[in-house]
Amino acid sequence: MRGFRAWWVRLWGVFARRQWEGRMAEELETNLQLDIDDGIRRGLDPAEARREALLRMGGIEATKENLRERHGHPWFETTIRDAAYACRTMRRTPGLTATVLFTLALGIGATTAIFTVVNGVLLRPLPYADPGRLVYISAKLGHFEGFSGYTQDYPAWRKYNRTLSQIAGYRMFEANMAGGEGAERIHCGLATASLFSLLEVHPILGRTFRPEEDRPGGPDVAVLSDAFWRSHFAGDPSAVGKSLTLDDRVYTVVGVLPPSFRIPDRYGVFPYDVWVPFAIGENGKARDIMIHVVGRMRPGVSIAAVEAELTGLMRNAVRNGVRWKSAQAVPWQEQVASGLRRSLVLFLGAVGFLLLIACVNVANLLLGRSAARSREMAVRRALGAGTARIVRQLLTESVLLSLGGAALGLAAAHWTKGLVLLAIAPKMPALQPIGLDYRVFTFTLAIAVVTGIAFGLAPAIAASRVHLMESLKEAGRGVTGGRWKGGFRSALAVAEIALAMVLLAGAGLFLRSFLQLRGIDLGVNPRQLLTFDVSLTNSRYPKPMDQARYLERLLEALRNVPGVVSVAGGNDLPLSNGMMTFNNVAIEGGETVPQVRGVIVSSDFFRTMGIPLVRGRVFTPQDREDAPSVVVVSQTFARQFLATGGDLGRRIQNPQKDNDWLTVAGVVGDVRPSPESEPGPMIYLPYLQPAQQEVVRVGVQFFSLVLRTSVPPMSIAPAVRRVAAAIDPAQAVYDVASFEDVRSEWVAPRRVNAILIGSFAGLALLLGSIGIYGVLSYAVGERTHEFGIRIALGARPREITGMVLRSGIKVVACGVGLGLVGSLALARWISAELWGVRATDPWTLGTVMAILTAVGILACAIPARRAARVDPLTALRCE
Amino acid sequence: MSEKAEVWQGTLALMVLKTLETLGPLHGYGIARRIEQTSGDLLIVNYGTLYPALLRLEQEGYIVSEWGVSENHRKARFYRLTRAGRKRVEQAAREWDRTASIMGRFLAPAKDAL
Repeated sequence: MRGFRAWWVRLWGVFARRQWEGRMAEELETNLQLDIDDGIRRGLDPAEARREALLRMGGIEATKENLRERHGHPWFETTIRDAAYACRTMRRTPGLTATVLFTLALGIGATTAIFTVVNGVLLRPLPYADPGRLVYISAKLGHFEGFSGYTQDYPAWRKYNRTLSQIAGYRMFEANMAGGEGAERIHCGLATASLFSLLEVHPILGRTFRPEEDRPGGPDVAVLSDAFWRSHFAGDPSAVGKSLTLDDRVYTVVGVLPPSFRIPDRYGVFPYDVWVPFAIGENGKARDIMIHVVGRMRPGVSIAAVEAELTGLMRNAVRNGVRWKSAQAVPWQEQVASGLRRSLVLFLGAVGFLLLIACVNVANLLLGRSAARSREMAVRRALGAGTARIVRQLLTESVLLSLGGAALGLAAAHWTKGLVLLAIAPKMPALQPIGLDYRVFTFTLAIAVVTGIAFGLAPAIAASRVHLMESLKEAGRGVTGGRWKGGFRSALAVAEIALAMVLLAGAGLFLRSFLQLRGIDLGVNPRQLLTFDVSLTNSRYPKPMDQARYLERLLEALRNVPGVVSVAGGNDLPLSNGMMTFNNVAIEGGETVPQVRGVIVSSDFFRTMGIPLVRGRVFTPQDREDAPSVVVVSQTFARQFLATGGDLGRRIQNPQKDNDWLTVAGVVGDVRPSPESEPGPMIYLPYLQPAQQEVVRVGVQFFSLVLRTSVPPMSIAPAVRRVAAAIDPAQAVYDVASFEDVRSEWVAPRRVNAILIGSFAGLALLLGSIGIYGVLSYAVGERTHEFGIRIALGARPREITGMVLRSGIKVVACGVGLGLVGSLALARWISAELWGVRATDPWTLGTVMAILTAVGILACAIPARRAARVDPLTALRCE
Repeated sequence: MSEKAEVWQGTLALMVLKTLETLGPLHGYGIARRIEQTSGDLLIVNYGTLYPALLRLEQEGYIVSEWGVSENHRKARFYRLTRAGRKRVEQAAREWDRTASIMGRFLAPAKDAL
């Protein structure tokens, strides 16, 4: 405690040095005088008294030195002196200092920017009370990892568990909300009453659900998100108590959640706008649906104990004596981060390479300077500074530089944070605002100190190795610093180019994956196509035929909108997440199809989407209930299952109607459900021949509409909404977008990879070429004298240029070669993130090598030309 | 060899504090003289040790110093005990007593110790 106080006082002492020096001298002088006075009083004559007093006093300077040691912090003061000296030195070479600072700011700034995201997504605890005890609980089936919980297991878990203090379930759904100008599709959440109390979320208005409200037959109450409250109730506090109609059901608003509340969902953060109570029934006959289950562990309980207990409570836990279903609990934080970890680690790795290049570059620049400062070092040596002292002084300089770079980098990271987030957003939605916090600062500070030492150590040691006599003798002429230093600098340049090559190769591969994916032909014509979805409220359109009638009216109305060429719809468009598959479909006189993707479409579907008809015919408006059931199959289906015995006219069992057979009317071109997947066998069913009520699985309750337009697709969106509202104002038209936008959205995560790694690689290329340029132009400067002699002796400029260029190309070639080895070594590591291109793709690697070599040679060419233009007279006069 | 011993660091601080407690505010020279006198001239106080010790005590907040005028009208730096310093004297004296009595028992001509 006292020691700490003294430490502080001493720290102040560092700054009040001069004043204190005076006080110390005066005090010691008084001491002497008092002693002399004493002597005189004892009867000594003044001279004798003075002599004795001085004797007793001992060495005054030694005493003063002792006091100085104690007064301030000598270590600290030396550092400050070194730093002040470093600042003066740096000011004398502004160009070099600026280059170093810029390089470091790039490296540290990029690292900080990525770390900011990593911190926000992976490291920061979830924004709930005591997040360390929150676990995400899922059901493991056999040896498959748990994916989500199920409504079937939840009631027993809730009722009987003892390891969790609270357990809650939630899931998303969407609903139509009738409003003033047509209906709106709302993102809703079902939540057990325990969810909000488990997360300790307190409403800013009203209340959340009461425990009795999430039972079957409970009241229809709703809790709103802050954003929804502001947009739909104008932030009016009297919203509580008002009502809200979702899919024809009237809910009473009871509360509003705070604006900061977010909750993770499997595909990122679902923008939950309205929460309604989740009645998870205890009767086993209810449909088993997937839900998110979270629990709060009691203090002192282990995750393993939770898993064991919940597994014991599951139905069907044991099948054939083997544990089939079991509970899996993971820290919620981990579950949220798990999907993002790999790409974040990838980005962090890439940015780490960039930082490494920056370090190497700076080391190289400083090494160049240390040669120019060898005289200074020799003088220091001669005055008695040891190796440790010189290294320390130079390390102080380099850490100071890196701190400066870090400060700039931090500022850059702060300004470009939005850009990075924007680039990264399609891949990782944020659960909480991402920004600079103490973790980021600590990280950046640590990075700065470590990089400062990393890039400063080699130049510092090189500088301390100075030869006294030689350096002093050479009286200011550039000292070559010996072969060792030149070789070392070339090695650093090689390392830089190799690192840049690895990054460029990665970027090239990501770019190719992205371009390939974007260039994939889905089998449809994506231009001038508007798509949107409708989801019919079940209570209004309960039967498949009611739904089909609504769609028929909607299609008819849309056909008359100006700018529309043709209109169609289907319950599963390419690039939508919906999917309908039929299992075990029999073919007349053929094998049984184990699994086939099915789409229910309107008659103009193929023409509107641009799917070519191969043979036979497509659907017509006459393919209705009363007409014979028909089917259109994809080429792959025809090839795989109807090759023998012909396709047109063959009969396929109707998977939607018992005892009914579909006649194959036509064969159409293949369509990929998404760019990543291969086109598989597909069958198309006409929407006006709907399924039997009892066997309906997906039906046309959800329908995606497509409009081929002669005008920019989005320009007719308002007209589309108007037309839909005129038919039924309670049904929402949503996700209105041009097909091309949907498509680019789909490849967005790949674009993130390409953009981020690509920009890091670009910076790496820049730094790498600065590096080799620096090495070469320094070498040329050093050899000016030699070139002068050569030219004077008759060497032609071309020969000189060639000589310099050759030494540069050697460095570039070594770097590119090493980089190639590095890229191949890291290939396995990134192959999981690639698509349609192998990590060792020769075309990509070759292109990258060519680019790097070209840029490298360009960087060499400038100093090489300068070497050739040396004027022999000036060069020799330098002596 | 001289019989006079140099004061060692740890005890010097206690001696300084005790001196200031007994005599009130005093300058460095006075403190040195007083310690030597009290020891019956068995100790000599080296200024190279005394002044750093005073500085340290001041940094630790046990004493404070200010300029004053000495008995023979010279401007001198006077040291004065603080409240913390007073407490420290008491505590250190107690600890010292205990240590001294333990050491005394060890070093006393042993009758029953072995």
